[in-house]
Amino acid sequence: MSEAVLTRRSRASHVVGQNIGLILAGSILLLAILVYIGVYLIQLHRLPGNFAVTSTVNSAMPLIFATVGQSFVVLTKGIDLSVGGVVDLSNAMAAVTMRNSPGSMALWSVAILLVGAACGLLNGLLVGLGRLQPIVVTLGTLSIFQGLAIRVLPQPGGAIPPGYTNLLVNPNHPYALIYVALLALAWMGFRRTRPGVDLYAIGNDEAASRSLRINVLRTKIIAYVLDGVLGAAAGLLLAANATAGDATTGNGYTLTSIVAAVLGGISLFGGRGSAVGAICGAFITTLIVNILFFSHVDPLFQSFYEGLFLLIAVVAGGVIGGTIRRRR
Amino acid sequence: MKRWLALSQDWRRVGYAVIAAILLFVLGQAVHPGFLRLNSVATVLVISSFVGLVAAGQCFVILIGGIDLSVPWVLNAAAIMLTVTSLGQEGRAPWAILVTLGLGVLIGAVNGFGVAFLGVPAVVMTLAMDGIMEGLTLGLTGGFTCGACSSYAPPVVQAMAHGASLGFPNALWLWLAVILLVSGALTLTRFGRATYAIGNNPLAAFLAGVSVPGITILLYAASGFFSALAGIMLVGFGGQASLGMGEPYLFQSIAAVVIGGVSILGGRGYYLGAAAGAVSLTVLVSVLLALDMPDYFRSILYGVVILALLLLYGREETG
Amino acid sequence: MIEAAIAAREVSKAFGGVKALTRASFTLLPGEVHALVGENGAGKSTLIKILGGRIVPDQGEIVLGGGIAAQGGSGRGIGTVFQELTLLPYMTVAENLLIGREKRSRLGLIARGELPRIAEAELAGLGISHIDPRALASDISLAERQIVEIARVILTAPRVLLLDEPTSALVEREVAWLFDQIRQLRQAGAAVVFTSHRWNEIASIADRITIFRNGTDVGTFTAIDEDEAITLMTGRQMETMFAPLPPEPSGEPVLELKGARAEGTEPLDLSLRAGEILGIGGLAGHGHRALFFGLFGAPAFLAGEIRVNGRPRRIARPKDAIRAGIGLALVPEDRKTEGLFLPLSVRDNLTLPILNRLSRLGIISFAAEQRVTGEMISRLSVRTPHARQPVGALSGGNQQKVLLGRWLLTKARILLLYDVTRGVDVGTKHEIFSLISRLAAEGFAILLYSSDAEELAHLCHRVVVMRRGAMVAELPAARLSAEAIVAAAMREAGSETARREANV
Repeated sequence: MSEAVLTRRSRASHVVGQNIGLILAGSILLLAILVYIGVYLIQLHRLPGNFAVTSTVNSAMPLIFATVGQSFVVLTKGIDLSVGGVVDLSNAMAAVTMRNSPGSMALWSVAILLVGAACGLLNGLLVGLGRLQPIVVTLGTLSIFQGLAIRVLPQPGGAIPPGYTNLLVNPNHPYALIYVALLALAWMGFRRTRPGVDLYAIGNDEAASRSLRINVLRTKIIAYVLDGVLGAAAGLLLAANATAGDATTGNGYTLTSIVAAVLGGISLFGGRGSAVGAICGAFITTLIVNILFFSHVDPLFQSFYEGLFLLIAVVAGGVIGGTIRRRR
Repeated sequence: MKRWLALSQDWRRVGYAVIAAILLFVLGQAVHPGFLRLNSVATVLVISSFVGLVAAGQCFVILIGGIDLSVPWVLNAAAIMLTVTSLGQEGRAPWAILVTLGLGVLIGAVNGFGVAFLGVPAVVMTLAMDGIMEGLTLGLTGGFTCGACSSYAPPVVQAMAHGASLGFPNALWLWLAVILLVSGALTLTRFGRATYAIGNNPLAAFLAGVSVPGITILLYAASGFFSALAGIMLVGFGGQASLGMGEPYLFQSIAAVVIGGVSILGGRGYYLGAAAGAVSLTVLVSVLLALDMPDYFRSILYGVVILALLLLYGREETG
Repeated sequence: MIEAAIAAREVSKAFGGVKALTRASFTLLPGEVHALVGENGAGKSTLIKILGGRIVPDQGEIVLGGGIAAQGGSGRGIGTVFQELTLLPYMTVAENLLIGREKRSRLGLIARGELPRIAEAELAGLGISHIDPRALASDISLAERQIVEIARVILTAPRVLLLDEPTSALVEREVAWLFDQIRQLRQAGAAVVFTSHRWNEIASIADRITIFRNGTDVGTFTAIDEDEAITLMTGRQMETMFAPLPPEPSGEPVLELKGARAEGTEPLDLSLRAGEILGIGGLAGHGHRALFFGLFGAPAFLAGEIRVNGRPRRIARPKDAIRAGIGLALVPEDRKTEGLFLPLSVRDNLTLPILNRLSRLGIISFAAEQRVTGEMISRLSVRTPHARQPVGALSGGNQQKVLLGRWLLTKARILLLYDVTRGVDVGTKHEIFSLISRLAAEGFAILLYSSDAEELAHLCHRVVVMRRGAMVAELPAARLSAEAIVAAAMREAGSETARREANV
């Protein structure tokens, strides 16, 4: 039936066209790194050294995990407003429970990650079985998780053993990048499993996925549980960074993780994006804070520039992405 | 009668929201006798009205499948704008109120412009706007340390929040007017029809001659207006503007709209339901406060009750 | 007696009070191609979804033949192509084609890198070489999507293949390909169910035909002619499908197009008189859509002039077109996305563009609205219990009437009818045809696009054929026939490619 073989685009052209989000995120990250180095050089007359890099990486760690978690849910066309609550809860639990012994650290880390999984399971069940919209479900559970976090740690305090801090966010060397690499690797593996494919499928078109006999409920639950686990991991990293706990510092991660995911090229309409982009997005978001800090911008104006940057990045990204897709 | 029942699931949800609000009042009376005294009911309703005002704007934008996350700092900016422009003086009040509401409309219109013309997702646009307003407000007021920042609201604004006319609190008169106006606009006017049309199918609305960008901008501008109005009322209520005073109103307004039976996906629901939702939420908080519960438990119960209400009647139909 | 591959026994199914199927029975034998015909809303799609295990009947039972049951009950061995396409837009053709049966690497992970190659080979095995497996599903044409959808199901080697209107987006050549595939499956002993509104397709492929009406089966035949089938489908005698054409008008043109160019078209010229039905013909994807939507400002033409009643009009968006007295009724390519507001009432759907007329200071006069909607509902005999009924609860044909009614209410004197009869059942089609003739007789100017050349030949005063974004032939009444339209649309299709390549 095919007497006319249409001209095909090259493989490279497909790669570019189908990964515009990721490519843009990578480019913005590169740009952010260059600006960061430039500002650093101008203000301090030297290149950022080991300490500056380490502290930047360490401060990005919680956001990276929270953003990747958020991404799982956003890829299913959902949104998780409760991730801040999960970070709070995990952070508070870590500060209260962790003792300075390898056994205690390991045991409680696992326990806290399981609590995160349970939080995610609750979200997943309400969304999947309860047929409620993700945004309202997680609005409700945010309140619950925050309440639990305050119950666990009413006042900021507690203590994180230094050994734990050294292990997770080593203050002397950017060893934490290893976890980022592992996270990216785990993602690539997940992407190649049944639930990994189904995740994208239901984000693309849930009704069609049902027709394709994809188990939508199971896939959603997996996404929310992984989101919960990664949110809890973010809480652990945050506690390790601060060497103490606070049941409210995690709140900001709800909206910041959404910002980072968007900057990382993950479509809020579901089905498009990757965790690698999300990691880039989290780094970008962190770097912007650092750039503003080193440029001696009045900290009171910080949110203004962040908001403006988010807007410009999204609008410019849309324009550039659209142009590339058309020109291809 | 049967036809009414069969037809209008959206109105039924409004009914559920009203019933939920009434039941919560009754529950309040049960756990804390005296809760249903006229006085305390009036107070609860006045506090509800602040959420209710924000929810009016939120309802508008959610009806076209959008959302307004810029509520907290638009509200906060409006509050500080009112105090620094009026400096607590009665004579400056009308001008200050006008400027403040204008600010709200302007910011809302920019949100609408970004959504309608730049194609930015509503979540991103309004989230960015919230950051922008936060930075501007904090930066320009030096973190609320400026001289005029500590001005009080002019007496007339305070009277609007605290006073009463014809034996009925002024705040409630205002809210009643807003309820009538918003409900009327949505059900009786071309504007309302266009709103529901866009919420259900933006492309079809465009092809039927609805100016989708125009209506979108109008709706977001209205949301900015209502956030600013709530900011003015809150300054009147509390006397002064304070840092972070808008924070609770974001999630509360969304929760009120959703509990009120408005579909978060757009196109379905009524403001009357959202108003009932605002009352439900406020009554719930008051009951929990009356029960003298610790903070954390209040927070947990709050979430549980919202989810329970939604599970009872807020589900999406299966497609 | 041969054991059935799959059979439905007295199944009933209702959706929210609306009965889709009432004690319907259907038997599919191994090795047969069984056509399921009936008007829209007769229950064909519901039956197919039930047979495919997508929905569960309220009553009745589904009996699976031994070969099917042995493969694991309801799901396995049954492949379904649903009427609504299920391709995932932001995944590649390869990912879509192989979903659920991807090749695993030794680690048990999906070998994503190998999918395009595998997909390419599998598509080639079905004789498809023009679809790039690396392209996103959203980047290929509707016809290509439908082919991928069909290929995906065929590649699972089903024992029972259920096809719900698989040809709606396909042109003749592609239909021929599909029928080849169906014949091969039949040869291999598979059973195929097939629905279509095109009688020639049914006649050419079906071994048996079961006719549905009002949610139940009214008869199964090995041979039946079209008239008889239509009588059974509609429950009434069909005198003639097409109403007589009103006399050709001769007045001044009411709509003129000069050098109008849209994205992907050449400059187009056109003129249309009051009372005239001008057909636009040609194969799908050759610029018709750009022409119709350009006239409606969605999006506007890039260049050129539009004159309405002799005066140049700027039509930048639909609102301008509506003001100029142009109405656009269309069946969207993906049904229901561009016309109707399904949860909203018939009334709201009808009056949206004319609310300015029905309101004062922005406030709608419900009495006036009630009156005009009531009139339009009876004029078009829209079958709805009342004007407040959500339009989504109506049958497809009646939804189409609501859409037409909307534009009649605007008092538009120029109607752009874009594929209004696609996927509409015979009875409603007949009503729409006679409505079109009546409207022309009343002095409406009508521009009509249809994918069905037969329809154009009977309905229009003259037909302009488009190919590759240009108007390539004008057929006046004297030379008008379905064959002439098809010939003009296909002419030189082969040599043209060669010439284009030579020019480069």
